[in-house]
Amino acid sequence: MKSRKGYSLNRREFLQTSAMTTAGIMAAGMPLSQAIWAAEGSGGGVLRVRSYADINKLDPGFYQNAYNVDVMNCIYSKLIHYKPGSEWETELQAAEWIEQVDPTHIRFKLREGIMFTGGYGEMTAEDVKFSFERVIEHNSPVKDDWGPLDHVEVEDDYTGVIVLKSPFEPLWNVTLPYGVGHIVSKKAVLEATEDGGDFGMEPPSFSGPYVLDEWRPNQVVILKRNPEWTGPKPGFDEIRILPIGDPRTAETAYRSGDLDFTHISLSTLDEFKSDPPQDTVIEERPSLYYVYVGMNTENPKLQDINVRRAVQWAINVPQLLDVGYFGQAEVATGMVAPGLVGHREQALIPPEGDLEKAREYLREAGAEGISLRIDVLNESKFTAMAEMLQAQLGQIGITLEIDVQDPGSFWSIGMESEGDRWQEMELILQRFSMVPDPYYATTFFTCEQVGNWNWERFCNERFDELNAEAVTVQDEEERAEMYREMQDLLEESGAYRFLTHEGSPFVYRESVMTPATRPDGRPLFRFFDPV
Amino acid sequence: MLLYLLRRLVLAVAIVVLAVTLLFVMIHAVPGDPASIMLGPRATPEQRALLHETMGLDRPLPVQIVTFFADVVRGDMGTDVFTQRPVSRIVFGEMPYTIVLILTSITWAALVGIPLGCYSAIRRNSLIDKFIGVFSVGTIAIPSFVMAVYALLIFAVMLGWLPAIGAGEGFWDRVRHLILPAFAVGVGWVGYISRIVRASMLEVMGESHVRMARAFGLPERRIILRYALRLAILPTVTVLGVGMAHLLSAAVFAEVVFARPGLGALIVNAVGTRNYPVVMGTVLVTTALFVISTTLSDLINAALDPRVRESL
Amino acid sequence: MPATDMTRSEGQPMREPSAWVQHWRQLCRNPLGLLGLILVVLMVGSALLANVIVPYDPAQVMVGPRLGPPTWHNLMGTDQLGRDTFSRVIMGGQVALIVALASLSAALSLGLLLGLVAGFGPRWLDNGLLLLLDSVRAFPVIIFALAVVTLLGPSLYTVVFVVAITSIPVYARVVRTQTQALRDHEYVLAERAMGASTRRILGVHIMPNVIGPLLILASMDVPLVIALEAGLSFLGMGVRPPTPSWGTILNNGYNYIQNSPWPVIAGGIPIILTTLGFTFLGEALRDIFDPKLRRDL
Repeated sequence: MKSRKGYSLNRREFLQTSAMTTAGIMAAGMPLSQAIWAAEGSGGGVLRVRSYADINKLDPGFYQNAYNVDVMNCIYSKLIHYKPGSEWETELQAAEWIEQVDPTHIRFKLREGIMFTGGYGEMTAEDVKFSFERVIEHNSPVKDDWGPLDHVEVEDDYTGVIVLKSPFEPLWNVTLPYGVGHIVSKKAVLEATEDGGDFGMEPPSFSGPYVLDEWRPNQVVILKRNPEWTGPKPGFDEIRILPIGDPRTAETAYRSGDLDFTHISLSTLDEFKSDPPQDTVIEERPSLYYVYVGMNTENPKLQDINVRRAVQWAINVPQLLDVGYFGQAEVATGMVAPGLVGHREQALIPPEGDLEKAREYLREAGAEGISLRIDVLNESKFTAMAEMLQAQLGQIGITLEIDVQDPGSFWSIGMESEGDRWQEMELILQRFSMVPDPYYATTFFTCEQVGNWNWERFCNERFDELNAEAVTVQDEEERAEMYREMQDLLEESGAYRFLTHEGSPFVYRESVMTPATRPDGRPLFRFFDPV
Repeated sequence: MLLYLLRRLVLAVAIVVLAVTLLFVMIHAVPGDPASIMLGPRATPEQRALLHETMGLDRPLPVQIVTFFADVVRGDMGTDVFTQRPVSRIVFGEMPYTIVLILTSITWAALVGIPLGCYSAIRRNSLIDKFIGVFSVGTIAIPSFVMAVYALLIFAVMLGWLPAIGAGEGFWDRVRHLILPAFAVGVGWVGYISRIVRASMLEVMGESHVRMARAFGLPERRIILRYALRLAILPTVTVLGVGMAHLLSAAVFAEVVFARPGLGALIVNAVGTRNYPVVMGTVLVTTALFVISTTLSDLINAALDPRVRESL
Repeated sequence: MPATDMTRSEGQPMREPSAWVQHWRQLCRNPLGLLGLILVVLMVGSALLANVIVPYDPAQVMVGPRLGPPTWHNLMGTDQLGRDTFSRVIMGGQVALIVALASLSAALSLGLLLGLVAGFGPRWLDNGLLLLLDSVRAFPVIIFALAVVTLLGPSLYTVVFVVAITSIPVYARVVRTQTQALRDHEYVLAERAMGASTRRILGVHIMPNVIGPLLILASMDVPLVIALEAGLSFLGMGVRPPTPSWGTILNNGYNYIQNSPWPVIAGGIPIILTTLGFTFLGEALRDIFDPKLRRDL
């Protein structure tokens, strides 16, 4: 996972690796209709998998959350996609080729013969233009994914140029291969929505190897093969995605045979290893989430940086992870996970902290015997860690009160638009999801985000400068260095103690499938193969 | 009688309106915001404000309440914040699962519990009575979600006899999927019902008309079935009516543990995400269900007990 | 049958100085009742003396291995933070006792009062109360709890409040039904005809008759209360950590059921024993105190 090579380093190299890795499977350059794939003949069957939540958005331009994108991956096509495996790489999907002409121009050519279902014809550059521009035009909540997109120029039916206002590196890592990169049919969407806006849960047309056959809310999402699909034949005839929120329920469902693929929780990983169900393979993947303890820098009790430092140093991270994840999660050095650009080799404060130093800071602040409060989400791993934290802070004489919150109230604690709770917030145990580009993590800690998503109310000019500049830098090492500095700034403010990126172990039945996932374990269902 | 029915109907509507209004006020006092959850961390404050506006959350509370009821009368329960589907479609789509679960649970519990309680009362203080007593108390004692978890672990995971999750497809598959949740939800009620039947049986059997019947030399069997049980069942019927609300809570757990679709799972999720339209719609339907069941239980009470009937 | 002995006691045993002694003897003749008493005394006693009994501070982490099995040092094993489960179970008894006592006594007295008023009072009052009670009761408990907990924050008081409010309508309704049934009984009608005051009728004739079934209900509700508290914990809305409660222990146990069965057992057994205790004792007390049974037999 240390290797950063091949991921957005040099555009030319990128294209080469892509072409090479895809040569065998994608038969680059050949019209799709001619390439009736070797996979034909084998396969069939039903894939039964679990998702941690039910779908609630199928419009890629307005996508929310990974579980929706898991389905979009199957029912739409996009220019490039994440390559299944353990390295963050992308490869060509709907694009025959794609190249960065200069920092703000990206030229692509679509493969010929990709059809939209429902008689909406072949996918053209016009559809690409429409799909990308509507994200900005209709003020999508995820329009930041398209950052500085200006417009898309259509050259002919298949070729076009993506024109940016300024360079935008995350384009290659997130924008194109993830949610907003999916291509929808202009004609179909305009017919369905009139203005080309959000079509919510009713896709007017599909362009992927699967179509949404049936959705029974809170029960199952059924994807079936797209009969009009001309590309590589997908492995399974049918994919049934069961939404199960509780990991324990999912584990039980797997053990009882109702599922053939599911993520499991880190706390039960050992049990699965020592007593695996029949023909089960357990795979452990590092995940990208970042978990940290944050402190409200504007709260009177925490305004003194020495109090915050005392908390930072009193926290023994491995001990917390031991109770929260049963020792199955690695200590994080910052927000950016290993394998991504900008990952720090180590944090400024050692994982175990130092109680002596913590006491010293506390003395300096004259805040001995202070009592603090922490807000945590009502999940067992968080409450367990909070209870351990309570014990740890107790060692330096800080009394910690734990407030357990349901998701509804937790996720609005620090928002100024939702009342005055942001003022009373003291400590918070926070966990954010992440995409494979560091910009996604840092954008939330700018001054502009204070009171919105920056609940610690951290504000630093240098940080904001770096954050704005780093998305435009093309040299990977230079860019990485900027993100490392940003994480240093966060840590030096005393408001953050980074804990972990968690992990994402999953299990599957080897008698049923060979799964395909991103490096962080997120499934790419269209590449799952039956045995 | 007709007047009584009419009055009950008005009362029922009043209860639903009052309860939903209370909840409306309460849930809006609770911190939390659907917009931040729905739009995700990427949304700007302006986008959230826009969503508030389209959801009508920026209007004064009384206006929101009146609008809500006015819409409901016109058959519109609002739209789901997240998926933009009509709430009525969601709620009525989930409702059958919960109703089937509750009815199945309560039916089997009553079918087992009433005879047990009856037998206990007749053979009072016998060994069997004591055994039934210990058994019923034991079943009441175990929280339904613990029962659900153990049932799941034993019958679905260890033995693999029954499916673990979901609601199934097709009639027999659905029945198979229903067994474990219905067992978990209903098992406590077996004990509860048998206790209540036993207690009221003992009471009724001491009453004058039963002793009278006995003095007339009517056969014991007939006394029990015709006179005692009929009266003794009254508190049970009342409790069953009341029990709908408890059962709905039990159903919440069963639906969470067994990953079953239903109103319980729907509402927990909707409250957690502050999906107000769905919360309101679900509560409206569940309170209505509840009111219907209590009204029914009162009517049955009246039909069974001449004393109550006369006072109508 | 012990019941035959009861016929010998006089019409109003409460006034006799030796009444309690008699009741005690009656109780001793009822083995299940006695067992119930012992269990209740054990539970209440351990809860009261909890601070003396516990070998470890129940909030002290890492006194043993994580999720360890029972040993001599940790009689019931340890939980996910390495805390001593036995100490937590004993302290949890205190929590259960507080929740059950506080909420049930509040609910009982209010429910009794409202039920009597509704059942015996004028029609309009009955209707008004019934409307209010039914509205409160018509909430699914969990929804009500969810709203209240998010409003007040999760804590012991919130749990007590939720349990009390949601139990009142049940008691009130049962009392009302009983009162209405009794109201038209010959002896009440006769008493009324003789010009007895409402207070006298309620206090002397209706209350004792109503309180029996009510106590049975309440004694049977103790486990329901504990289960509700456990259920709230199950949805992450129970007492504030690290307060030990049987519900939280059970819930944590469930969270780690794949890792170790001990916490679930340790959290579940006291709930079951306490329930058995309260129910058996409640039954026995009913046999002894229920005036109607005694008069008729």
